Amino acid sequence: MKSVAKRDPLIPAWLRSSRVIGAYSVIAGLAIWQLAYQGLTWTHYFKAYAINHFLSSPLQVIQSFGELYQSGELLRHSYFSLLEFVYGFLLAIGVGILVGFIMATSKKINYYLDPWVSCLYATPLVALAPVIMVWFGLGIFPNSLVVFLGAVFPILLNTYTGIKSVRENLIDVVRAFGGSPSQVFFKVMIPDATPTIITGIRLAVGRAVISVVVAELFGAEAGLGFMVYFYSQRFLPGPVFVAIVVLVVFGILSFLALEKIQGWLSPWYAYRLRREAHGMELE
Amino acid sequence: METTGSKLAVKHLRKSFQSQRSEASIQVFEDISFEVHPSEFISIVGPSGCGKTTFLRILDGLIPHDDGDILLDGKSVIKPGPDKGFVFQESSLLPWRTVMDNVILGLELQGVASGEARKKAERYIALVGLAGFEQHYPHELSGGMQQRVNLARALIVDPQVLLMDEPFASLDAQTREIMQAELLKMWNQTKKTVIFVTHQIEEAIFLSDRVVVFSARPARIREIVKVDISRPRSLSVKRSKEFLELADQVWNIIQEEVLKSMGREREEGVL
Repeated sequence: MKSVAKRDPLIPAWLRSSRVIGAYSVIAGLAIWQLAYQGLTWTHYFKAYAINHFLSSPLQVIQSFGELYQSGELLRHSYFSLLEFVYGFLLAIGVGILVGFIMATSKKINYYLDPWVSCLYATPLVALAPVIMVWFGLGIFPNSLVVFLGAVFPILLNTYTGIKSVRENLIDVVRAFGGSPSQVFFKVMIPDATPTIITGIRLAVGRAVISVVVAELFGAEAGLGFMVYFYSQRFLPGPVFVAIVVLVVFGILSFLALEKIQGWLSPWYAYRLRREAHGMELE
Repeated sequence: METTGSKLAVKHLRKSFQSQRSEASIQVFEDISFEVHPSEFISIVGPSGCGKTTFLRILDGLIPHDDGDILLDGKSVIKPGPDKGFVFQESSLLPWRTVMDNVILGLELQGVASGEARKKAERYIALVGLAGFEQHYPHELSGGMQQRVNLARALIVDPQVLLMDEPFASLDAQTREIMQAELLKMWNQTKKTVIFVTHQIEEAIFLSDRVVVFSARPARIREIVKVDISRPRSLSVKRSKEFLELADQVWNIIQEEVLKSMGREREEGVL
Protein backbone atom coordinates (compact mmCIF):
# COMPACT_ATOMS: atom_id res chain seq x y z
CA MET A 1 0.00 0.00 0.00
CA LYS A 2 1.16 3.52 -0.66
CA SER A 3 1.72 5.85 2.23
CA VAL A 4 -1.35 7.79 3.22
CA ALA A 5 -2.22 10.82 5.35
CA LYS A 6 0.56 13.07 4.19
CA ARG A 7 0.48 16.31 6.14
CA ASP A 8 -0.43 19.35 4.09
CA PRO A 9 2.53 21.70 4.53
CA LEU A 10 0.48 24.69 3.29
CA ILE A 11 -1.53 24.85 6.53
CA PRO A 12 0.69 25.46 9.57
CA ALA A 13 0.20 23.28 12.64
CA TRP A 14 -1.32 25.96 14.88
CA LEU A 15 -4.14 26.48 12.38
CA ARG A 16 -5.01 22.81 12.70
CA SER A 17 -5.25 22.87 16.53
CA SER A 18 -8.57 21.92 18.11
CA ARG A 19 -9.14 25.45 19.42
CA VAL A 20 -8.68 27.13 16.09
CA ILE A 21 -10.96 24.59 14.40
CA GLY A 22 -13.54 25.21 17.16
CA ALA A 23 -13.30 28.95 16.52
CA TYR A 24 -13.84 28.39 12.77
CA SER A 25 -16.93 26.37 13.58
CA VAL A 26 -18.45 29.11 15.75
CA ILE A 27 -17.64 31.85 13.23
CA ALA A 28 -19.17 29.76 10.42
CA GLY A 29 -22.32 29.17 12.50
CA LEU A 30 -22.69 32.88 13.19
CA ALA A 31 -22.16 33.70 9.51
CA ILE A 32 -24.86 31.24 8.44
CA TRP A 33 -27.21 32.76 11.01
CA GLN A 34 -26.48 36.28 9.75
CA LEU A 35 -26.95 35.27 6.08
CA ALA A 36 -30.17 33.41 6.78
CA TYR A 37 -31.56 36.44 8.61
CA GLN A 38 -30.44 38.71 5.80
CA GLY A 39 -32.14 36.40 3.31
CA LEU A 40 -35.39 36.55 5.29
CA THR A 41 -35.45 40.35 5.26
CA TRP A 42 -35.66 40.26 1.46
CA THR A 43 -38.82 38.12 1.46
CA HIS A 44 -42.30 39.52 1.91
CA TYR A 45 -42.82 37.30 4.98
CA PHE A 46 -40.47 39.51 6.96
CA LYS A 47 -42.82 42.48 7.08
CA ALA A 48 -46.00 40.46 6.93
CA TYR A 49 -45.21 38.51 10.07
CA ALA A 50 -43.10 41.16 11.82
CA ILE A 51 -40.25 38.71 12.05
CA ASN A 52 -37.92 41.25 13.60
CA HIS A 53 -39.98 40.86 16.78
CA PHE A 54 -39.14 37.17 17.00
CA LEU A 55 -35.71 36.77 15.44
CA SER A 56 -32.49 38.65 15.66
CA SER A 57 -29.17 38.48 13.88
CA PRO A 58 -25.63 38.43 15.30
CA LEU A 59 -25.04 41.99 14.09
CA GLN A 60 -28.21 43.20 15.76
CA VAL A 61 -27.23 41.45 18.99
CA ILE A 62 -23.89 43.23 18.88
CA GLN A 63 -25.70 46.50 18.32
CA SER A 64 -28.06 45.86 21.24
CA PHE A 65 -25.07 44.96 23.36
CA GLY A 66 -23.49 48.32 22.58
CA GLU A 67 -26.67 50.24 23.45
CA LEU A 68 -27.35 48.32 26.66
CA TYR A 69 -23.73 48.70 27.70
CA GLN A 70 -23.72 52.44 27.00
CA SER A 71 -26.88 53.04 29.00
CA GLY A 72 -25.48 51.06 31.95
CA GLU A 73 -28.47 48.75 31.93
CA LEU A 74 -26.47 45.65 31.05
CA LEU A 75 -23.95 46.24 33.82
CA ARG A 76 -26.71 46.80 36.39
CA HIS A 77 -28.42 43.53 35.47
CA SER A 78 -25.12 41.63 35.29
CA TYR A 79 -24.09 42.96 38.67
CA PHE A 80 -27.35 41.82 40.24
CA SER A 81 -27.03 38.34 38.75
CA LEU A 82 -23.37 38.10 39.66
CA LEU A 83 -24.16 38.86 43.30
CA GLU A 84 -26.80 36.13 43.39
CA PHE A 85 -24.37 33.73 41.76
CA VAL A 86 -21.49 34.53 44.10
CA TYR A 87 -23.54 34.40 47.31
CA GLY A 88 -25.37 31.21 46.37
CA PHE A 89 -22.31 29.50 44.92
CA LEU A 90 -19.99 30.29 47.81
CA LEU A 91 -22.59 29.09 50.28
CA ALA A 92 -23.02 25.92 48.21
CA ILE A 93 -19.25 25.28 48.24
CA GLY A 94 -19.05 25.79 52.01
CA VAL A 95 -22.10 23.76 52.93
CA GLY A 96 -21.55 21.11 50.25
CA ILE A 97 -17.99 20.35 51.31
CA LEU A 98 -18.81 20.45 55.03
CA VAL A 99 -21.87 18.21 54.85
CA GLY A 100 -20.17 15.91 52.34
CA PHE A 101 -17.25 15.47 54.73
CA ILE A 102 -19.53 14.80 57.66
CA MET A 103 -21.62 12.26 55.74
CA ALA A 104 -18.50 10.49 54.49
CA THR A 105 -16.89 10.25 57.91
CA SER A 106 -19.90 9.44 60.11
CA LYS A 107 -22.03 6.47 59.16
CA LYS A 108 -24.74 7.40 61.63
CA ILE A 109 -25.19 10.95 60.39
CA ASN A 110 -25.11 9.60 56.85
CA TYR A 111 -28.08 7.34 57.64
CA TYR A 112 -30.09 10.37 58.80
CA LEU A 113 -29.10 12.77 56.04
CA ASP A 114 -28.98 10.48 53.03
CA PRO A 115 -32.76 10.34 52.34
CA TRP A 116 -33.02 14.13 52.60
CA VAL A 117 -30.15 14.67 50.23
CA SER A 118 -31.61 12.15 47.76
CA CYS A 119 -35.06 13.76 47.89
CA LEU A 120 -33.82 17.33 47.57
CA TYR A 121 -31.44 16.40 44.78
CA ALA A 122 -34.29 14.80 42.86
CA THR A 123 -36.63 17.75 43.39
CA PRO A 124 -36.91 19.89 40.25
CA LEU A 125 -35.51 23.29 41.08
CA VAL A 126 -38.08 24.90 38.81
CA ALA A 127 -40.78 23.63 41.14
CA LEU A 128 -38.99 24.84 44.24
CA ALA A 129 -38.14 28.35 43.09
CA PRO A 130 -41.69 29.80 43.21
CA VAL A 131 -42.17 28.42 46.73
CA ILE A 132 -39.03 30.19 47.87
CA MET A 133 -40.31 33.42 46.28
CA VAL A 134 -43.54 33.06 48.17
CA TRP A 135 -41.72 32.57 51.44
CA PHE A 136 -38.97 35.15 51.10
CA GLY A 137 -40.26 37.62 48.53
CA LEU A 138 -38.19 39.21 45.78
CA GLY A 139 -34.56 40.20 46.02
CA ILE A 140 -31.02 38.98 46.14
CA PHE A 141 -31.41 36.76 49.19
CA PRO A 142 -34.18 34.42 47.98
CA ASN A 143 -32.56 34.22 44.55
CA SER A 144 -29.21 33.30 46.10
CA LEU A 145 -31.03 30.59 48.01
CA VAL A 146 -32.27 29.12 44.73
CA VAL A 147 -28.71 29.24 43.36
CA PHE A 148 -27.49 27.54 46.53
CA LEU A 149 -30.04 24.74 46.17
CA GLY A 150 -29.11 24.28 42.54
CA ALA A 151 -25.37 24.11 43.13
CA VAL A 152 -24.96 22.40 46.48
CA PHE A 153 -25.69 18.78 45.57
CA PRO A 154 -23.02 18.05 42.97
CA ILE A 155 -20.48 19.50 45.42
CA LEU A 156 -21.86 17.56 48.37
CA LEU A 157 -22.05 14.25 46.53
CA ASN A 158 -18.60 14.61 44.98
CA THR A 159 -17.08 15.48 48.34
CA TYR A 160 -18.72 12.38 49.79
CA THR A 161 -17.44 10.19 46.95
CA GLY A 162 -14.00 11.80 47.08
CA ILE A 163 -13.54 11.10 50.79
CA LYS A 164 -15.04 7.61 50.52
CA SER A 165 -12.69 6.61 47.72
CA VAL A 166 -9.46 7.77 49.34
CA ARG A 167 -6.94 5.01 48.71
CA GLU A 168 -6.50 2.74 51.72
CA ASN A 169 -2.83 2.05 50.98
CA LEU A 170 -1.98 5.76 51.16
CA ILE A 171 -3.72 6.03 54.54
CA ASP A 172 -1.61 3.08 55.69
CA VAL A 173 1.55 4.90 54.66
CA VAL A 174 0.85 7.84 56.96
CA ARG A 175 -0.27 5.50 59.75
CA ALA A 176 2.85 3.37 59.36
CA PHE A 177 5.02 6.42 60.03
CA GLY A 178 3.10 7.12 63.20
CA GLY A 179 0.65 9.69 61.74
CA SER A 180 -2.29 10.64 63.97
CA PRO A 181 -5.90 10.48 62.72
CA SER A 182 -5.87 14.24 62.10
CA GLN A 183 -2.61 13.92 60.14
CA VAL A 184 -4.20 11.15 58.08
CA PHE A 185 -7.09 13.51 57.41
CA PHE A 186 -5.06 16.53 56.38
CA LYS A 187 -2.14 14.81 54.66
CA VAL A 188 -3.99 12.06 52.79
CA MET A 189 -7.75 12.37 52.75
CA ILE A 190 -7.99 16.04 51.79
CA PRO A 191 -5.33 16.02 49.06
CA ASP A 192 -6.59 12.73 47.60
CA ALA A 193 -10.21 13.94 47.58
CA THR A 194 -9.44 17.46 46.28
CA PRO A 195 -9.67 16.72 42.53
CA THR A 196 -12.99 14.93 42.97
CA ILE A 197 -14.36 17.82 45.02
CA ILE A 198 -13.27 20.35 42.39
CA THR A 199 -14.93 18.22 39.71
CA GLY A 200 -18.13 18.56 41.76
CA ILE A 201 -17.66 22.32 41.91
CA ARG A 202 -17.19 22.40 38.14
CA LEU A 203 -20.40 20.49 37.62
CA ALA A 204 -22.12 22.90 39.98
CA VAL A 205 -21.14 25.99 37.97
CA GLY A 206 -23.52 25.11 35.14
CA ARG A 207 -26.33 24.36 37.53
CA ALA A 208 -25.72 27.62 39.40
CA VAL A 209 -25.97 29.66 36.19
CA ILE A 210 -29.25 27.91 35.32
CA SER A 211 -30.50 28.59 38.86
CA VAL A 212 -29.77 32.31 38.52
CA VAL A 213 -32.00 32.46 35.46
CA VAL A 214 -34.73 30.26 36.96
CA ALA A 215 -34.88 32.38 40.09
CA GLU A 216 -35.07 35.62 38.13
CA LEU A 217 -37.70 34.32 35.74
CA PHE A 218 -40.00 33.70 38.67
CA GLY A 219 -39.48 36.95 40.38
CA ALA A 220 -36.91 39.68 40.28
CA GLU A 221 -36.58 43.36 39.62
CA ALA A 222 -33.23 43.06 37.93
CA GLY A 223 -30.77 40.52 36.64
CA LEU A 224 -29.94 38.79 33.38
CA GLY A 225 -32.78 36.30 33.78
CA PHE A 226 -35.09 39.21 34.42
CA MET A 227 -33.78 40.83 31.21
CA VAL A 228 -34.69 37.69 29.26
CA TYR A 229 -38.18 37.74 30.72
CA PHE A 230 -38.71 41.49 30.39
CA TYR A 231 -37.59 41.87 26.76
CA SER A 232 -39.21 38.72 25.46
CA GLN A 233 -42.51 39.99 26.85
CA ARG A 234 -41.95 43.12 24.74
CA PHE A 235 -40.96 41.20 21.59
CA LEU A 236 -37.44 42.60 21.54
CA PRO A 237 -35.21 39.60 20.73
CA GLY A 238 -31.94 41.62 20.58
CA PRO A 239 -31.58 42.32 24.33
CA VAL A 240 -32.80 38.80 25.12
CA PHE A 241 -29.91 37.33 23.16
CA VAL A 242 -27.49 39.80 24.74
CA ALA A 243 -28.44 38.46 28.18
CA ILE A 244 -28.15 34.87 27.01
CA VAL A 245 -24.72 35.45 25.48
CA VAL A 246 -23.45 37.09 28.67
CA LEU A 247 -24.69 34.06 30.68
CA VAL A 248 -23.04 31.61 28.29
CA VAL A 249 -19.72 33.44 28.30
CA PHE A 250 -19.81 33.69 32.09
CA GLY A 251 -20.56 29.96 32.43
CA ILE A 252 -17.75 28.94 30.09
CA LEU A 253 -15.21 31.25 31.73
CA SER A 254 -15.99 29.97 35.24
CA PHE A 255 -15.78 26.38 34.05
CA LEU A 256 -12.39 26.98 32.43
CA ALA A 257 -11.12 28.89 35.46
CA LEU A 258 -11.99 25.94 37.70
CA GLU A 259 -10.28 23.57 35.31
CA LYS A 260 -7.14 25.71 35.65
CA ILE A 261 -7.47 25.70 39.44
CA GLN A 262 -7.81 21.92 39.41
CA GLY A 263 -4.69 21.53 37.30
CA TRP A 264 -2.85 23.91 39.59
CA LEU A 265 -3.96 22.28 42.86
CA SER A 266 -3.59 18.69 41.72
CA PRO A 267 -1.15 18.43 38.83
CA TRP A 268 -0.89 14.67 39.42
CA TYR A 269 -4.60 14.15 38.82
CA ALA A 270 -4.54 14.58 35.05
CA TYR A 271 -1.99 11.79 34.95
CA ARG A 272 -4.18 9.53 37.07
CA LEU A 273 -7.19 10.18 34.85
CA ARG A 274 -5.16 9.40 31.77
CA ARG A 275 -3.92 6.19 33.32
CA GLU A 276 -7.40 5.07 34.33
CA ALA A 277 -8.77 5.94 30.92
CA HIS A 278 -6.18 3.70 29.29
CA GLY A 279 -6.55 1.02 31.95
CA MET A 280 -2.85 1.13 32.56
CA GLU A 281 -1.04 0.00 35.65
CA LEU A 282 1.19 2.44 37.46
CA GLU A 283 4.64 1.60 36.24
CA MET B 1 12.75 -16.31 77.77
CA GLU B 2 15.95 -14.31 77.81
CA THR B 3 15.98 -11.78 75.01
CA THR B 4 19.25 -9.95 75.45
CA GLY B 5 21.25 -9.79 72.25
CA SER B 6 18.18 -9.85 70.03
CA LYS B 7 16.91 -6.77 68.28
CA LEU B 8 13.46 -8.07 67.61
CA ALA B 9 11.75 -10.98 69.32
CA VAL B 10 8.46 -12.47 68.22
CA LYS B 11 6.91 -14.70 70.87
CA HIS B 12 4.01 -17.08 70.42
CA LEU B 13 2.25 -14.74 68.00
CA ARG B 14 -1.31 -15.67 67.11
CA LYS B 15 -3.77 -14.01 64.79
CA SER B 16 -7.16 -14.91 63.40
CA PHE B 17 -9.58 -12.98 61.23
CA GLN B 18 -13.34 -13.01 61.29
CA SER B 19 -14.52 -14.46 58.00
CA GLN B 20 -16.75 -12.06 56.10
CA ARG B 21 -19.00 -14.77 54.76
CA SER B 22 -19.50 -17.00 57.78
CA GLU B 23 -19.33 -16.78 61.55
CA ALA B 24 -16.16 -18.84 61.58
CA SER B 25 -12.86 -17.19 62.31
CA ILE B 26 -9.90 -17.96 60.10
CA GLN B 27 -6.67 -18.79 61.83
CA VAL B 28 -3.83 -16.92 60.12
CA PHE B 29 -0.90 -17.70 62.42
CA GLU B 30 -0.58 -20.13 65.21
CA ASP B 31 2.30 -19.73 67.55
CA ILE B 32 5.05 -17.94 65.64
CA SER B 33 8.27 -17.33 67.52
CA PHE B 34 11.69 -16.22 66.37
CA GLU B 35 14.41 -13.76 67.16
CA VAL B 36 16.33 -11.34 65.00
CA HIS B 37 19.84 -10.14 65.85
CA PRO B 38 20.91 -6.54 65.43
CA SER B 39 21.87 -5.69 61.83
CA GLU B 40 20.60 -9.02 60.64
CA PHE B 41 18.88 -9.38 57.28
CA ILE B 42 15.95 -11.78 57.53
CA SER B 43 13.65 -12.79 54.70
CA ILE B 44 10.26 -14.40 55.04
CA VAL B 45 9.06 -16.69 52.28
CA GLY B 46 6.13 -19.06 52.08
CA PRO B 47 3.37 -20.33 49.87
CA SER B 48 1.07 -17.66 48.37
CA GLY B 49 -1.64 -16.51 50.70
CA CYS B 50 0.09 -17.77 53.85
CA GLY B 51 -0.12 -14.32 55.47
CA LYS B 52 3.41 -12.98 55.00
CA THR B 53 2.19 -9.43 54.40
CA THR B 54 -0.23 -9.63 57.31
CA PHE B 55 2.63 -10.78 59.51
CA LEU B 56 4.75 -7.78 58.50
CA ARG B 57 1.86 -5.40 59.16
CA ILE B 58 1.44 -6.90 62.60
CA LEU B 59 5.16 -6.40 63.28
CA ASP B 60 4.71 -2.74 62.38
CA GLY B 61 1.63 -2.42 64.57
CA LEU B 62 -0.65 -1.50 61.66
CA ILE B 63 -2.82 -4.53 62.49
CA PRO B 64 -3.33 -5.71 66.08
CA HIS B 65 -2.47 -9.31 67.01
CA ASP B 66 -4.55 -11.60 69.20
CA ASP B 67 -2.00 -13.22 71.40
CA GLY B 68 1.71 -13.35 72.02
CA ASP B 69 4.22 -10.53 72.05
CA ILE B 70 6.49 -8.57 69.73
CA LEU B 71 9.50 -7.03 71.42
CA LEU B 72 11.59 -4.40 69.66
CA ASP B 73 14.62 -3.57 71.80
CA GLY B 74 12.78 -5.19 74.68
CA LYS B 75 9.68 -3.00 74.31
CA SER B 76 6.30 -4.29 73.19
CA VAL B 77 5.13 -3.14 69.77
CA ILE B 78 1.54 -1.93 70.02
CA LYS B 79 1.31 0.73 67.34
CA PRO B 80 3.20 2.02 64.30
CA GLY B 81 5.89 4.59 64.89
CA PRO B 82 9.22 5.97 63.72
CA ASP B 83 11.12 3.15 65.42
CA LYS B 84 9.99 1.01 62.47
CA GLY B 85 10.42 1.88 58.82
CA PHE B 86 7.97 0.30 56.40
CA VAL B 87 8.70 -0.09 52.70
CA PHE B 88 5.44 -0.81 50.95
CA GLN B 89 4.67 -2.60 47.73
CA GLU B 90 4.32 -0.55 44.56
CA SER B 91 2.54 2.80 44.21
CA SER B 92 2.54 3.83 47.83
CA LEU B 93 4.07 7.25 47.24
CA LEU B 94 1.76 10.20 47.78
CA PRO B 95 1.13 11.29 44.18
CA TRP B 96 0.62 14.97 45.08
CA ARG B 97 4.05 15.22 46.68
CA THR B 98 7.41 15.57 44.99
CA VAL B 99 10.21 13.09 45.70
CA MET B 100 11.54 15.49 48.33
CA ASP B 101 8.17 15.92 50.03
CA ASN B 102 7.56 12.18 49.99
CA VAL B 103 10.89 11.46 51.61
CA ILE B 104 10.42 13.96 54.44
CA LEU B 105 6.95 12.59 55.27
CA GLY B 106 8.06 10.62 58.33
CA LEU B 107 10.01 13.56 59.76
CA GLU B 108 7.16 15.96 59.00
CA LEU B 109 4.73 13.73 60.91
CA GLN B 110 7.09 13.85 63.88
CA GLY B 111 7.13 17.64 63.71
CA VAL B 112 10.76 18.05 62.59
CA ALA B 113 11.42 21.54 61.19
CA SER B 114 11.12 21.67 57.42
CA GLY B 115 14.60 23.04 56.72
CA GLU B 116 16.28 20.39 58.82
CA ALA B 117 14.13 17.64 57.30
CA ARG B 118 15.00 18.74 53.78
CA LYS B 119 18.70 18.81 54.48
CA LYS B 120 18.52 15.28 55.83
CA ALA B 121 16.34 14.17 52.93
CA GLU B 122 18.95 15.32 50.42
CA ARG B 123 21.39 12.88 51.98
CA TYR B 124 18.96 9.97 51.78
CA ILE B 125 17.84 10.80 48.25
CA ALA B 126 21.52 10.72 47.27
CA LEU B 127 21.97 7.44 49.16
CA VAL B 128 19.32 5.74 47.02
CA GLY B 129 20.85 7.25 43.89
CA LEU B 130 18.19 9.83 43.06
CA ALA B 131 20.11 13.08 43.49
CA GLY B 132 18.73 15.60 41.01
CA PHE B 133 15.21 14.15 41.09
CA GLU B 134 14.09 15.95 44.27
CA GLN B 135 11.43 18.04 42.55
CA HIS B 136 9.99 15.27 40.35
CA TYR B 137 6.55 13.83 40.98
CA PRO B 138 6.14 10.05 41.41
CA HIS B 139 4.38 9.67 38.07
CA GLU B 140 7.44 11.09 36.36
CA LEU B 141 9.61 8.26 37.72
CA SER B 142 10.03 4.65 36.63
CA GLY B 143 8.90 1.80 38.90
CA GLY B 144 12.45 1.17 40.11
CA MET B 145 13.00 4.85 40.93
CA GLN B 146 9.70 4.97 42.82
CA GLN B 147 10.81 2.11 45.01
CA ARG B 148 14.08 3.92 45.69
CA VAL B 149 12.05 6.86 46.98
CA ASN B 150 10.00 4.41 49.03
CA LEU B 151 13.22 3.12 50.57
CA ALA B 152 14.60 6.59 51.30
CA ARG B 153 11.30 7.50 52.94
CA ALA B 154 11.63 4.53 55.29
CA LEU B 155 15.33 5.05 56.04
CA ILE B 156 15.16 8.78 56.85
CA VAL B 157 13.33 8.25 60.14
CA ASP B 158 16.37 6.18 61.21
CA PRO B 159 14.27 3.20 62.25
CA GLN B 160 15.44 0.42 64.55
CA VAL B 161 14.11 -2.11 62.09
CA LEU B 162 13.25 -1.89 58.40
CA LEU B 163 10.16 -3.83 57.32
CA MET B 164 9.98 -4.45 53.59
CA ASP B 165 6.85 -5.84 51.96
CA GLU B 166 7.68 -7.31 48.54
CA PRO B 167 9.17 -3.98 47.47
CA PHE B 168 10.52 -5.28 44.16
CA ALA B 169 7.59 -7.52 43.18
CA SER B 170 6.27 -5.28 40.42
CA LEU B 171 9.63 -4.49 38.85
CA ASP B 172 10.93 -6.15 35.72
CA ALA B 173 13.58 -8.84 36.18
CA GLN B 174 16.58 -6.67 35.30
CA THR B 175 15.57 -3.75 37.48
CA ARG B 176 14.80 -6.13 40.32
CA GLU B 177 18.30 -7.60 40.26
CA ILE B 178 19.89 -4.18 40.22
CA MET B 179 17.70 -3.07 43.12
CA GLN B 180 18.65 -6.17 45.11
CA ALA B 181 22.35 -5.39 44.72
CA GLU B 182 21.74 -1.73 45.60
CA LEU B 183 19.73 -2.70 48.65
CA LEU B 184 22.61 -4.81 49.95
CA LYS B 185 24.99 -1.91 49.41
CA MET B 186 22.71 0.43 51.37
CA TRP B 187 22.18 -2.15 54.06
CA ASN B 188 25.94 -2.43 54.38
CA GLN B 189 26.18 1.34 54.82
CA THR B 190 23.32 1.74 57.29
CA LYS B 191 23.56 -1.58 59.16
CA LYS B 192 19.83 -1.69 59.72
CA THR B 193 17.99 -4.75 60.92
CA VAL B 194 15.79 -5.82 58.02
CA ILE B 195 12.74 -8.08 57.74
CA PHE B 196 12.07 -8.63 54.05
CA VAL B 197 8.94 -10.35 52.80
CA THR B 198 9.06 -11.82 49.31
CA HIS B 199 7.67 -14.66 47.25
CA GLN B 200 10.91 -14.99 45.33
CA ILE B 201 13.15 -17.64 46.82
CA GLU B 202 16.34 -16.59 45.10
CA GLU B 203 15.77 -12.97 46.11
CA ALA B 204 15.39 -14.08 49.73
CA ILE B 205 18.57 -16.16 49.68
CA PHE B 206 20.62 -13.55 47.88
CA LEU B 207 19.76 -10.83 50.39
CA SER B 208 19.51 -12.62 53.70
CA ASP B 209 21.46 -13.98 56.59
CA ARG B 210 18.57 -16.29 57.38
CA VAL B 211 15.42 -17.21 55.45
CA VAL B 212 12.31 -17.92 57.50
CA VAL B 213 10.01 -20.33 55.65
CA PHE B 214 6.34 -20.13 56.57
CA SER B 215 4.00 -23.07 56.22
CA ALA B 216 0.67 -22.90 54.42
CA ARG B 217 -2.19 -21.35 56.38
CA PRO B 218 -2.55 -21.39 59.32
CA ALA B 219 1.07 -20.31 59.14
CA ARG B 220 3.76 -21.68 61.41
CA ILE B 221 7.49 -21.42 60.96
CA ARG B 222 8.31 -24.46 58.88
CA GLU B 223 12.04 -23.93 58.91
CA ILE B 224 14.68 -21.27 59.31
CA VAL B 225 17.38 -21.66 56.66
CA LYS B 226 20.76 -20.15 57.41
CA VAL B 227 22.49 -18.63 54.39
CA ASP B 228 26.23 -19.19 54.80
CA ILE B 229 27.37 -17.28 51.77
CA SER B 230 30.10 -14.76 52.46
CA ARG B 231 29.45 -11.06 52.08
CA PRO B 232 29.69 -8.76 50.25
CA ARG B 233 27.77 -10.74 47.65
CA SER B 234 27.66 -9.89 43.99
CA LEU B 235 24.90 -10.93 41.61
CA SER B 236 27.12 -13.70 40.21
CA VAL B 237 26.78 -15.56 43.50
CA LYS B 238 23.32 -16.58 42.30
CA ARG B 239 24.95 -19.07 39.92
CA SER B 240 27.17 -20.68 42.56
CA LYS B 241 26.59 -24.26 43.66
CA GLU B 242 25.87 -23.48 47.31
CA PHE B 243 23.34 -20.84 46.29
CA LEU B 244 21.47 -23.22 44.00
CA GLU B 245 21.46 -25.94 46.67
CA LEU B 246 19.94 -23.53 49.19
CA ALA B 247 17.33 -22.42 46.65
CA ASP B 248 16.45 -26.08 46.02
CA GLN B 249 16.15 -26.75 49.71
CA VAL B 250 13.78 -23.80 50.28
CA TRP B 251 11.80 -24.56 47.15
CA ASN B 252 11.26 -28.18 48.24
CA ILE B 253 9.85 -27.08 51.58
CA ILE B 254 7.48 -24.60 49.93
CA GLN B 255 6.41 -27.14 47.33
CA GLU B 256 5.54 -29.59 50.08
CA GLU B 257 3.50 -26.91 51.82
CA VAL B 258 1.66 -25.94 48.67
CA LEU B 259 0.77 -29.57 47.92
CA LYS B 260 -0.34 -30.10 51.50
CA SER B 261 -2.63 -27.07 51.40
CA MET B 262 -4.04 -28.13 48.04
CA GLY B 263 -4.75 -31.59 49.47
CA ARG B 264 -6.49 -30.04 52.44
CA GLU B 265 -8.57 -27.76 50.25
CA ARG B 266 -9.57 -30.73 48.13
CA GLU B 267 -10.72 -32.55 51.26
CA GLU B 268 -12.66 -29.48 52.34
CA GLY B 269 -14.20 -29.26 48.93
CA VAL B 270 -12.69 -25.91 48.06
CA LEU B 271 -10.98 -27.25 44.94
